[in-house]
Amino acid sequence: MATNVATQAPLRARRTAVSYLMPIAATLLLALLALWLVVNFVKGPAYFTNIAFIGLTNGAVYALVALGYTLVYGILELINFAHGDVFMLGALISASMMITNFGVTTHSSTGFLVISIIGSLVITMIACGVINATIEFVAYRPLRGAPRLAPLITAIGVSFILEDIAIGWKQTGYTAVPNVLPKGNVFSVAGISYTWEKLIVVFITVPVLVALVYLVQQTRQGKAMRATAQDRDAAAMMGINVNRTISFTFLIAGALAGAGGLVYALYFGQVRYDTGYQLGLIAFTAAVLGGIGNLPGAVLGALCIGFIQAFNEGLRWHSPGSDWTQSIVFSILILILVFRPEGLLGERTPEGG
Amino acid sequence: MPDALLETQQLRKEFGGLIANADVDFMVPTNSIVSLIGPNGAGKTTFFNMLTGVYKPTAGRVFFGGEDMTNKPPHAFTQRGIGRTFQNIRLFQNMTALENVLVGMHVRLKGNLFEAIARTPRVRNEEAAARDRARELLQYCGLVRKDQVIGRNLSYGDQRRLEVARALATEPKLLLLDEPTAGMNPQETAEFTAFVGRLREERGLAVLLIEHDMRVVMGVSDRVTVLDYGEKIAEGTPAEIQRNERVIEAYLGAAAVSHS
Amino acid sequence: MRTAISDAWWTGLGAIGLPRQRWRSFPRTTRRAVKAVIWLAILLILIAAFGVWKASALAVAAVIALLVVPAWNRLPYGKFIVPLMVLGIAVAYPYYNTSMPQLPIFGPFPQISTMVVMMIFTMMALGLNFVVGYAGLLDLGYVAFYAMGAYMAGWFASNQFAAQKLNFGAVGLYPGWSGFHISLWIVLLMAGIATSIIGVLIGLPTLRLRGDYLAIVTLGFGEIMPQVARNGDNLFGTGFNLTNGTGGITPIDGPGFGNWADQHLHLPSNYLNASNFDSLFFWTAIVLVLITVFCSMRLRDSRLGRAWIAIREDETAAAAMGIPLMRTKTWAYATGAFFGGVAGAYYASYKSGAFPDDFFFNISVFILCMVILGGMGNIWGVIFGACFLAYLDREGLANVGAWFSTHTHRQIDVPKYEFGIFGLILVITMLFRPEGLIPSQRRAAEFHEGVHDEPLYDHEIAGA
Repeated sequence: MATNVATQAPLRARRTAVSYLMPIAATLLLALLALWLVVNFVKGPAYFTNIAFIGLTNGAVYALVALGYTLVYGILELINFAHGDVFMLGALISASMMITNFGVTTHSSTGFLVISIIGSLVITMIACGVINATIEFVAYRPLRGAPRLAPLITAIGVSFILEDIAIGWKQTGYTAVPNVLPKGNVFSVAGISYTWEKLIVVFITVPVLVALVYLVQQTRQGKAMRATAQDRDAAAMMGINVNRTISFTFLIAGALAGAGGLVYALYFGQVRYDTGYQLGLIAFTAAVLGGIGNLPGAVLGALCIGFIQAFNEGLRWHSPGSDWTQSIVFSILILILVFRPEGLLGERTPEGG
Repeated sequence: MPDALLETQQLRKEFGGLIANADVDFMVPTNSIVSLIGPNGAGKTTFFNMLTGVYKPTAGRVFFGGEDMTNKPPHAFTQRGIGRTFQNIRLFQNMTALENVLVGMHVRLKGNLFEAIARTPRVRNEEAAARDRARELLQYCGLVRKDQVIGRNLSYGDQRRLEVARALATEPKLLLLDEPTAGMNPQETAEFTAFVGRLREERGLAVLLIEHDMRVVMGVSDRVTVLDYGEKIAEGTPAEIQRNERVIEAYLGAAAVSHS
Repeated sequence: MRTAISDAWWTGLGAIGLPRQRWRSFPRTTRRAVKAVIWLAILLILIAAFGVWKASALAVAAVIALLVVPAWNRLPYGKFIVPLMVLGIAVAYPYYNTSMPQLPIFGPFPQISTMVVMMIFTMMALGLNFVVGYAGLLDLGYVAFYAMGAYMAGWFASNQFAAQKLNFGAVGLYPGWSGFHISLWIVLLMAGIATSIIGVLIGLPTLRLRGDYLAIVTLGFGEIMPQVARNGDNLFGTGFNLTNGTGGITPIDGPGFGNWADQHLHLPSNYLNASNFDSLFFWTAIVLVLITVFCSMRLRDSRLGRAWIAIREDETAAAAMGIPLMRTKTWAYATGAFFGGVAGAYYASYKSGAFPDDFFFNISVFILCMVILGGMGNIWGVIFGACFLAYLDREGLANVGAWFSTHTHRQIDVPKYEFGIFGLILVITMLFRPEGLIPSQRRAAEFHEGVHDEPLYDHEIAGA
């Protein structure tokens, strides 16, 4: 009984002109980026590769922290502002352990070094996991039913509290970590050199990642985590103790941050109370870039950001330089959240991200 | 043939792999009362959401008053004259009843930011007139002397009435009511059915109802459309629908058809 | 105000384990006796602080005020009496602040310079209140507006663009000046307008995002702005000095009314030359705050204000009622930006400089803390929160630290832990009293009952 109200027109939902603009602009931008990289590579392939190695190593550190963000967001849809500061505490704890408790110096034997690093790693991971789970229990759990912005504001408060705890413990200056990682090259070919310290970062990071993957995919707790992340109520109805699962997630996220902290302390050599803020935002951007809530995405995003940062600061032909790193990272964050909130690997959900 | 106030062509909504509405052609003539019925999960509220711009259709088009409204934002629908209530009441719980209705008038008032700061005579008069109209609407909908009650503190029935009052405040030509009698007892339902009739007579509105209560559907509708699994399976007068085999099967199962 | 006092009374009772029912179950004489004892205690404290005569005068005045105020409110303009009295007390502050007694723990009453800063931050907090308090949008990058305002003052009231030479009503120019020197009053307005334009631009991509993403993106903008300021002395290698880099733009002109007004109207010709320069800035700041409060109140009770509150409560229902979401949110953002810009420009004039080191993320959180502690959406709560926290930042924490040191013989540098303390305030407020100290009734209900937080609609781009 339809009256002829309109002429026949294509019945598929139409695309507006603007929506064509976005992919075109993105392609253009990526093309420029690729061009810049290629020119820099051609101008000095060995140097480029070395910079790339730096990016890879940075990316590994970011990955550990980004995974924590993404785990917590996946299960609670909360941006845990304080996560970067848990990482910072991890760095301080591990530095403190190695210097004070293990007594590591540049003259320590390799065997002793390995034992102290592993020991510090374990202790730091446990400590940070407990700290993170405690934060969840005290500050976020009571706000489960409140408007979504309430725990976010609380997280900011917790972040500041943690920073001041660090100030109280280690003052406002940098805490230096003994330069114990071997500096020599694993290999050096045609100007391309890969140092031992970079390899050690990978040695520490990869097993942690593998353990995490095993945990999430193969264990019961991991399955509970995935179920709760998908649908909290349904998981509860299936008999999963949601509170315990969430606590466990925070524990794991904290442990990852702690591991990241140790690696950071060893590789970068100095930590300060505000190290967590900067790095936290970078890692968060990485998580969003890869697709927040998506674990492989977090690693991918972290590697991308690591590369971007290294290229920006290291390459010489028309590179904005380290002054602009933060702005570039934030611009990426803004662009992703506005134009592709599901990130590289995420799925388009009805809420847009 | 009456003019179509609202019309959809091949309207489709998919959520990933789930087809919520499949190629529905639908029409509401001016000043008529149409009911949309179907088993739970048939896609009725999804359809409503597309009719008010809350969801963007995956395919197909929506026309209102002859204008193509597909892909327009929700406030554009309201501005053109579609008002709605929600299945699970979405009042502004922490505002008074009067304020709820005043918000409904937002689209028909004109005061902007600068006039608000300056409180020009025009704004003052507009606000006073708006408050009077709001009180009138509350009375019309049966909420007497409840202007200052906070939304949350109203009884369930009053909350439903307030939702209707708020929707009426947008001065719609077409009112979409999503399960308005859910939770009402028979007397309230009868009152409401009469109320819907009055809306058509006294205010010249067209009304589109999603309903499960057949007394309302059969009592007041000019036409009934039936959805099942996202598809339109029948359309016609209430009497025709009652006898329609596919409808009976959808509600009661295939076994029921052979016994009817 | 009376509800605030009774609110505090019940909260206090509740805190010591006496909810309303239990309290009312005590015999009447007991309750009266307790209240009398409390009044007596207050009187004794006042006497101890101020001396017998001043205390009695204060007590009598307070009794009169409490008894008579409700009656006053019924007079035609009666409801203005108390605010005007408060305003009078505030305006007269420079005259009596040195004769005020010392408070326990906190020490002396704040200096005028601190009061100026308190007023400026009050203005910023009220600006943020439009965004966070009325419209419910979590903005973590408000410092960007403050920065924009400050740099506007830096560009148009200083020697920054020395290649130009323009004087439009500016005061106090030294011989050999160059650059844009526009009258600071006009610059304040220009700063507000420019900042609100920036607010609209930032809002265009940002305001369609969901709450927590919005927060992060605003944080991002709040970080990018200072970096641009820091690196702005050589913009993209072109050599154009926009912001004078890390040194900042200094000096910046002060406000003033010019020589004619000085001779004929006895208004100060140039604030920076005046002997009571702090007081002058203070009084002008009060005027700016009054304007902000005025706009806040008018907007709160207007069509736009209702739309903001509707969006905060339930976006989908608001949209279904015909409220254009993006446009309305943008108005909130632009209004907040306007006042942030004016405050920033004024502060830059007071400090005579726009320095990139002043603009960092913590400031955004600082202002947010004021709004949350005071009571989101409630004008008086926000004013209280702003004054209190700004005072703590400038003087209060240092005084508390000094008190600690003398009494506990341990050196705790309290101001160093400032942001940890603010963080603690945020956490405790969110956990125990999220509606703030002096909330609007609505907000209290929202936090304890919850809102429809989830947007219903999808953001599918057509055809995707």
